[in-house]
Amino acid sequence: MIAALSSEWLKLRTTRTLFWLLVALSALMTLIVVAGVIGSQKHSITSAKDQLDLLGIGSLGIFIALIMGLIVSTGEFRHGTITPTLLATPSRTSIVIAKALAGMFFAVALVGLAEGLVALELAIALPAKGVDFAIQGGPAAGFIGRILIAAALWGALGSGIGIVIRNQIGAVVASFAWLFIAEGLIIAILHSNAINSNAGRFFPFQATGAILTNGSRNSADILSAGGGMAALGGWMALFTIAAVVLLSRRDVS
Amino acid sequence: MIAVEDLRKRYGKTQAVDGLSFTVEPGRVVGFLGPNGAGKTTTLRILLGLVHANSGQATILGKRYSQLERPFCQVGAVLEASGFHPGRKARNHLRVLARAGHAPAKRVDEVLATVGLEGAAKKRVGGYSLGMRQRLALASALLGDPGVLILDEPANGLDPEGIRWLRDFLRSLAAEGRAVLISSHVLSEVEQTVDEVVIINKGKLVAHGSVEELKRGKDGRVRVASPQAKALEEKLAKAGFVVTEDGEALLVAGATSAQVGEIAASSSLVLHELTPLATQLEDVFLDLTSEEKT
Repeated sequence: MIAALSSEWLKLRTTRTLFWLLVALSALMTLIVVAGVIGSQKHSITSAKDQLDLLGIGSLGIFIALIMGLIVSTGEFRHGTITPTLLATPSRTSIVIAKALAGMFFAVALVGLAEGLVALELAIALPAKGVDFAIQGGPAAGFIGRILIAAALWGALGSGIGIVIRNQIGAVVASFAWLFIAEGLIIAILHSNAINSNAGRFFPFQATGAILTNGSRNSADILSAGGGMAALGGWMALFTIAAVVLLSRRDVS
Repeated sequence: MIAVEDLRKRYGKTQAVDGLSFTVEPGRVVGFLGPNGAGKTTTLRILLGLVHANSGQATILGKRYSQLERPFCQVGAVLEASGFHPGRKARNHLRVLARAGHAPAKRVDEVLATVGLEGAAKKRVGGYSLGMRQRLALASALLGDPGVLILDEPANGLDPEGIRWLRDFLRSLAAEGRAVLISSHVLSEVEQTVDEVVIINKGKLVAHGSVEELKRGKDGRVRVASPQAKALEEKLAKAGFVVTEDGEALLVAGATSAQVGEIAASSSLVLHELTPLATQLEDVFLDLTSEEKT
């Protein structure tokens, strides 16, 4: 398992994928932070809470974490490297777990760097706009910690989805279609008078929202941060188990 | 060392492998031949644990591939000239595999030198020619210094010099006591490389034996001319060979030149000609597989 994990680590470090994801994420973060600070009224970004919301821009990196998890797995099928991977590590369970862990680690690293960049940019941009940097260490650490946990879960979830779907473009399209279309649609149906269920709060995007907002929305429609982690962890476990079962049963030809 | 026993694999309505059995002993280079779709690649992939058989056994060193203690260091495989990330440098590709397969890191540079890729080790594989990819695939197979090699069309994409290198290389590996199972459609190349061949068609074993045995068994003949033809014909017939006249010479079926020469020498008969009428492995292969088709 350690050898497989070490190999996954080396795989990601020896292509330019990680570098370009980091560049894309940094550019995106910078753009949003600059637009957010410039476009806001001074009074709306003065309090520590407002600035913590700006720090939350880094949580968009979670989508990059998902993409990274998907690439970790689908890249093997896209380039045919799954064959040498299985020859070197015949235990398919070990491969799935190693990929999930690799997805987690790299997601945390990417989103961690993104958060660091956002914090640095805020520390420069806010005083430049004449606003004191008011973010306190404690609340910021807790908030960033929750973002990193969500990123880790999405990285692992992405790697599981990637093994289940295998086709890289298909996996990316399916994942984002779920996040931005299907999940909302199903929740709307569940909320309809005929069904009237709030089961949608357990869905991945909603669970992520719960982790990031720390259950501060006063609603039965959202889980607590811990509940969100448990729900998202459940999805991750579900797709990891599905990946183990499918990869073990499938022929690689 | 490699044992396939009553192996069967079905894909939908297609029986890809149908009760196939054969063995490969240490120190032997065995050609694995068959027309396209005969089940060669499926068999090799079952041996390597990549494809699940419906029934039967496919073992290496007495165990299934996945049950070997350190499979990557016990069995080397070349399955296709793909299986590389185009953006990864060749040396890094090997480092990744060495790390996952518990092969010593120092082997990376050794095998790159062995296959003649040390100068291109830091190039991304996407810029490699097919021949270079084939060499890199061979380097991957050799990383763990395995005792068993399973190679699917390893000569694909190699230039004549590369093919000659591969032939000598495989012979040297077998001389070190390794078992080599090599599938190929370049029959003339296999003929010069292998000790024995396994020929399959439609997933079934058609023939298994040494190249000489197969040639002789199918159409091996020797043309021999002697001023004492009558006496020689009698001696050969007495030894159990079928002899027919061919102008002023004799055609001896099922015999080698050495056998005919020894019989003539033992009777002090003068020979003016002793020519093995070579049957190409390709002819044997086509005969066997076309017979099976009809």
